[in-house]
Amino acid sequence: MFRKGGKSTSMNHGGRRRVVTEFDDGGEMIEEYDLKTDELLLRKRRGRTVLGKDEEWEYLTGEAPRTFSPDVGILAESSVNPTWQRSQDTPQSFVWRVRNLPYPIETYQVTCDHGDQKIVIRTTNKKFYKRFDVPELKVLKLSLQDDALSYDWKNNTLIVQYKKPREVIKAELEEKVETQQLRLKRAPEDGDVDCKQQ
Amino acid sequence: MAEGGEGVKVAEIKDLTRIERIGAHSHIRGLGLDDALEARKVSQGMVGQVNARKAAGVILQMIRDGQIAGRAVLLAGQPGTGKTAIAMGMAKALGEETPFAMMAGSEIFSMEMSKTEALTQAFRKAIGVKIKEETEIIEGEVVEIEIDRPATSGAAPKMGKLTLKTTEMETVYDLGQKMIESLDKEKVSAGDVITIDKVSGRITKLGRSFARSRDYDAMGAQTKFVQCPEGELQKRKEVVHVVTLHEIDVINSRTQGFLALFAGDTGEIRPEVREQIDMKVAEWREEGKADIVPGVLFIDEVHMLDIECFSFLNRALENDMAPVLVVATNRGITKIRGTNYKSPHGIPIDLLDRLLIVTTQPYTERELRLILDIRCEEEDVEMTEDAKDLLCKIGHETSLRYSIHLITAAALVAHKRKSAEVEVEDISKVYSMFLDVQRSTQFMVEYQEQFMFNEVPDDDADAMED
Repeated sequence: MFRKGGKSTSMNHGGRRRVVTEFDDGGEMIEEYDLKTDELLLRKRRGRTVLGKDEEWEYLTGEAPRTFSPDVGILAESSVNPTWQRSQDTPQSFVWRVRNLPYPIETYQVTCDHGDQKIVIRTTNKKFYKRFDVPELKVLKLSLQDDALSYDWKNNTLIVQYKKPREVIKAELEEKVETQQLRLKRAPEDGDVDCKQQ
Repeated sequence: MAEGGEGVKVAEIKDLTRIERIGAHSHIRGLGLDDALEARKVSQGMVGQVNARKAAGVILQMIRDGQIAGRAVLLAGQPGTGKTAIAMGMAKALGEETPFAMMAGSEIFSMEMSKTEALTQAFRKAIGVKIKEETEIIEGEVVEIEIDRPATSGAAPKMGKLTLKTTEMETVYDLGQKMIESLDKEKVSAGDVITIDKVSGRITKLGRSFARSRDYDAMGAQTKFVQCPEGELQKRKEVVHVVTLHEIDVINSRTQGFLALFAGDTGEIRPEVREQIDMKVAEWREEGKADIVPGVLFIDEVHMLDIECFSFLNRALENDMAPVLVVATNRGITKIRGTNYKSPHGIPIDLLDRLLIVTTQPYTERELRLILDIRCEEEDVEMTEDAKDLLCKIGHETSLRYSIHLITAAALVAHKRKSAEVEVEDISKVYSMFLDVQRSTQFMVEYQEQFMFNEVPDDDADAMED
C-alpha cells in the first residue's frame, strides 16, 4: 500500500526480511518483517527537502531510536516525558501507545478531528497533547469514523485503538502477497552467495 | 569552600556575549556613506579614502539592484591603504542576506582540487538562492530552565533541562552544550515565549507571556507581550532563507549508498551535478518558487593567481549567473604569474580591460590620527594626547600597520608600569624594542656579512654561476 510508485528490493538480514523501497522523488522507505511470523516490525520513511537534503525518518511502525549526546546535539525530548508511538497492529485494529502517562483515565480525551482528519489526544491537566493521522487511511483516501476509535489506560500507558476498515484489511492482504512475491522474484544466487571474509 | 573559590567565581563572571577576538578589521561596520552615496569623513570605522569609498558605494548599489551580472572591480593601492577594509565594509553594508565570499589569491592552489574547480566553487559561494523551505520548529513558553554547572570548572560538561509549554501541553527537553550557551547568550528566562529551530538550534525570542505581565512593575519600552502558543510544541513552518549555489551543490553531490564511504564530502563536484542544479534553479525561478540573489566574490592578493586562472575568470565573468567580482592587489607593474610577461598589477591586459579600477591613496597624517583613535578604542587602550601624536608621527614615517601593532604592545608596557594610560615613554620603549621595516632593512644592510651563507662574497658567487 505504501510501496506504490517505488522500486522495492528485499533481502534477509538478522532474522528479518528487510524491504527497501526507493521513490522517484528521492524518498525512501524501509520495512522489516519477522521471517517466521511475517509480522511487520518496523516501517519508516523519509522524503527529500526541496534542496535535496534527506529529511528525518518518520516512523510509521516501531520505535525511533533515541540518539542524543549533549556534547554535539542541540536538544531532545527528555525521557521523563510521555512518549507516543505506533505499536504493532492487531489483526483487527491499529494501535498506538503513549507510555509514561501516570494520570488516571478520566484525564484523557481521545477524539477524531474530522476537519483535518487527525486523531487528537488531550489531557485535562494540560500535560500531554498530540495530533496524528493514520497513514493507511490517508493512502486509501478514507475518512475517520468516531465509532471505530477506542482507548484504555493501564500500567501508566494509554492505549488508543482504531478499528481497521474493510478496505485496509483487503489492502494489507494484497500487500502481504506482494511481499512474498518480492522474495520469489529474486533469483536465488543474486547476492545470496555466502561471502567469506578473508 | 576556600579552595579554588576565587577561580570558579572568575569563570562565572566572564561575559559570554563578546567572544570574538579583535582582528585587523573588526572596527569596520560599513562603508560610512550617507543616503546620497557621499562618503562621510569618519563613519562606521572608515576614515578617508573618500573617492574609493564613493566608488564602492556605486558598486554596492549595482549589487543591490541585482540586474547586472559579471562586473568586476579592481581595488589597487599601496600596502596599508585600506583595500581589504573597503571590501569588508562592502560586506557589512550588504547585510547577511547577500552572499559575500572572501578568499585570498593563494587559496586556490591545493593538491585536492584543480585551480578552476576552486574558483568555480568560490563563484558559486557568491550566488545565493532565496527559497521557501519547511522546517521543524519548537514554539512555546519557557516554564523553567535548569542548568547544572559542575563545581569543578572546565572538565565536566554542563547539563541542562528546559521545560516549555503551550496552552495544551508541557514537555521537558534535554539540552546540548551549544543550546545551553545560546540560551545564556539570548538571556532567555522563565516567562519568555521562544521558538527554536530544530536543525540549527537558533533561538528567537517572540516576547513575554501575558500571564507574566504582572511580574515586574518596571519594564523596558521594548518589552512585548504575546499569547502563550496553542497546540503542539513542535510545528512545521515555512521559512524563507538564502542558500548559496555551492551549498546546494554539496548537499546533492554526496555519493549515495555505501560508496559514500570512499568519497569525501568536499573535494571536486562533478559538472553533471552542477548542471542538474542549475536546471533545477531555473525551473524554480520560472515557477516563482525561488529568487536569485547575486552576491560578491572578493579575491584578495589577486596577483597570486596565474595566467590560467585569469583566462578562466575572463570566461566565467561572461556567464549570466556570475556574481560581482571584487579583486584587490598591492602590486605595480610586475610579472604575470606563470608567464614571463610583465603587466600592470600582474593582471593580463584583456582582464584589466573588463575591470573597473578603483585606487586607494596613502593616508594623510590627520587621517592616520583618526584611524589610531578608532583602533585605540577597539583595542580598549587609553592613551594620552602626546603619546597619540608620537604614534601618529611614527605611523607617518614608517607604516600604519606598524603603528597599530604598537598600540597593544605599548598598553602592555604601561600595564606593567601600573599605569592605566599609555604615555610617551611607553611608546618610545616599544619603538626601541620592536623594529619597523625600514630600521630592520637598515640593520640588514649594515650587518649582512655576519649572517649565515655570506662566507663567500657575492661577486664570486656570480662569477661561479657564469
